[in-house]
Amino acid sequence: MALLCASTSAIAIFSSCSSERPSFASLKRTNQSSFLGFFPVVALSKPSSARTTTLSSSKRDFRVCCQDLSLVPENQRWMFEESEADGPDIWNNTWYPKAKDHINTEKPWYVVDATDKILGRLASTIAVHIRGKNLATYTPSVDMGAFVIVVNAEKVAVSGKKRTQKLYRRHSGRPGGMTVETFNQLQQRIPERIIEHAVRGMLPKGRLGRALFNHLKVYKGPDHPHDAQKPVELPIRDKRVQKQR
Amino acid sequence: MTRIKRGYIARRRRKKISLFASSFRGAHSRLTRTITQQRIRALVSAHRDRDRKKRDFRRLWITRINAVIRGMGVSYSYSRLIHNLYRKQLLLNRKILAQIAISNRNCLYMISNEIIK
Repeated sequence: MALLCASTSAIAIFSSCSSERPSFASLKRTNQSSFLGFFPVVALSKPSSARTTTLSSSKRDFRVCCQDLSLVPENQRWMFEESEADGPDIWNNTWYPKAKDHINTEKPWYVVDATDKILGRLASTIAVHIRGKNLATYTPSVDMGAFVIVVNAEKVAVSGKKRTQKLYRRHSGRPGGMTVETFNQLQQRIPERIIEHAVRGMLPKGRLGRALFNHLKVYKGPDHPHDAQKPVELPIRDKRVQKQR
Repeated sequence: MTRIKRGYIARRRRKKISLFASSFRGAHSRLTRTITQQRIRALVSAHRDRDRKKRDFRRLWITRINAVIRGMGVSYSYSRLIHNLYRKQLLLNRKILAQIAISNRNCLYMISNEIIK
């Protein structure tokens, strides 16, 4: 069993967290799994021996026992209450998303303008958001990420001489079937493919990765047909993503 | 030597093994030789993955904590959080931190603000 040896400072912090519990629970979305947003009243830990007088029940139940509640400060009395633990046990089971935690129709949509943004840095941020690696609920086997729309794909920038020197290769499978194009040529032909190629290289390769790739929508001009999804501006934390003029 | 039939001895042994593989798919739960092989593979996987399970879960917790912590401020990361935790001698493990991150994110922010100082 996980015997948490939290120091007293941690217990004080937990108690201050618990005192603000109701405000967090009301802020969380109600349609997520039951325990999210609910800070449980189950006994967290065995506090230091000064407080616990009965350790014999350590194997049977994990409620903290203390015979003399007057020693415990007011805001920490909740740890010693005999309340029933309602809801799932969140301290012994790692959270795994249920079906209602990753419904596609309720995922956030982000939009980003690719004008004068460095290709790789932009693609990296997009891939992180599509995969869901910025979320606390990240799970490698489940698609928890958001949808991302890229507009003005033909105006994406690269540094150095990559415009004429970066090569995009594809092979048809037959001998002699290798086609090589430069960045410029591909941008003239199919500009969306540049961003798609970059992001696809940064997503996992596999069944889930291919499904994630479908959450990327790239468009050539400044508009996109997804106004109904009310996309939000994609928060980019990379400072060097904008091309310096 | 008198003639000895083997009787039901082999059948009893195989019945035990096929009980183990009773939930496998297709021929893996129907054909005796295949059942024996698949049972061995299943047990090998279970043995190897009991140790992997500990590694995998720790990885998952670290990734989840990292995801939340990086949203906190510029150039704050999981590694700095762990360094601060050890510096303040706070013994919270990654499992608990990850569960806190999911259930009560502001609590995690409070903890990390306390230990930054």
